[in-house]
Amino acid sequence: MATSQASTTLSLKEKAIAFFNTLYRALFRYGKMPQDAEGQSYAVFNNLFLHIHSVKVSKHSLRFTYTFGLGIIATCLFLVLVFTGVWLMFYYFPSATEAYNRMLDLRSSVDFGFVLRNIHKWAAELMVVFVILHMARVFFTGAYKPPREFNWVIGVLLLLLTFGLSFTGYLLPWDQLAFWAITVGTSIAGYAPVLGEPIRKFLLGADVVGQEALVRFYVLHVVILPGLLSIFLAIHFWRIRKDGGLSHPNENETPVKGTAQ
Amino acid sequence: MREVNTKHVFPQDPNKTYGLMELMKGTKPTVGLQPDDMVFTWPHLLIRELVLFAIVVAGLLVAAFLFDAPLEEIANPNHPPNPAKAPWYFLGLQELVSYSAFVGGVLIPTLIVIGLMLIPFIDRKKIGIGKWFAKERALANGLFLTFLLVMGALIILGTYFRGANWSFVVPWE
Repeated sequence: MATSQASTTLSLKEKAIAFFNTLYRALFRYGKMPQDAEGQSYAVFNNLFLHIHSVKVSKHSLRFTYTFGLGIIATCLFLVLVFTGVWLMFYYFPSATEAYNRMLDLRSSVDFGFVLRNIHKWAAELMVVFVILHMARVFFTGAYKPPREFNWVIGVLLLLLTFGLSFTGYLLPWDQLAFWAITVGTSIAGYAPVLGEPIRKFLLGADVVGQEALVRFYVLHVVILPGLLSIFLAIHFWRIRKDGGLSHPNENETPVKGTAQ
Repeated sequence: MREVNTKHVFPQDPNKTYGLMELMKGTKPTVGLQPDDMVFTWPHLLIRELVLFAIVVAGLLVAAFLFDAPLEEIANPNHPPNPAKAPWYFLGLQELVSYSAFVGGVLIPTLIVIGLMLIPFIDRKKIGIGKWFAKERALANGLFLTFLLVMGALIILGTYFRGANWSFVVPWE
């Protein structure tokens, strides 16, 4: 390359700049803040985290009063929950004798431990709320209609996973609230004919809520359910792209005959 | 059989799913017949997402400093509270369970989940898309709104109006 021939005449500073430019270009294929159409396209297209979006979106889908950003807010809450959740894992211990002490530690001896736990708690409650609100928005704007049927089904699964995550997390503080809420909640599962009692015992690992249930809920809460939710979330976003972005009034069938398809 | 549309410069063969549409001079990949109502994701969508994320994080931080997450005494299997309540989003179910364990706890939730998943396969007519509470969808929207309100009412009932032994109480007394 030309740089190797010219390198003898370059100063050390210029060499350093050239090196960092090479490094930067290796990481980000396109320039810093793209201003032209080509650059803006590549900026989204060539980035793993951004390519979840299409390069262009319709103006209609950006109107705040159309979506109120409900799905994005739910996603943001999930990201916050993963971040604070992993952080909390450094302090937590899924033991019936130790878990509650760790809650007290978070309040007293861990720096900003109470903030960490509070953020995780309120983000979890809000995620349930915003997922439901997002579902209502999708319904009231008719956004589940073809070709988006399957994405609605994925959305229902995501709602169930959100309930599951919230419910399994509820037990972990191991206080009176946690213990009896899970006792009541899992007893509801036991009312199902035939499968009910096996499901309840599978969840609890015993006849009543205890150490076995705590470990099972912990594993469900920090590995299995977040993993499943991430996978279905990826499918959910991917389908938005494949189904042509957000729903749009132009998709309605026009009353004039002979124009369909 | 569709007619060959002769209005286009290049006749469209109805037996083909593809065809040469038109030739345009230009440098952008999106040169279309219709006016373009699209904008670039970078920066228009991304800036909105970033702002929303910042608001969410800021709101959570404020809430975390103002309101403490509840923490009661250590779990004690020998001292059940009366009433013992499930998390708030399951209190509607718990209310239904108080009438009939099987119907309220198993049958109705199962039917709700299956019903929700079937919605887009039953209501397939492409009308009223992309508009809040479209007139053409008044029936569907009315039914779903009723469903949400009933669920909400059951949750409020279970949360605030149920006391010891699941008896009816009024919260302000």
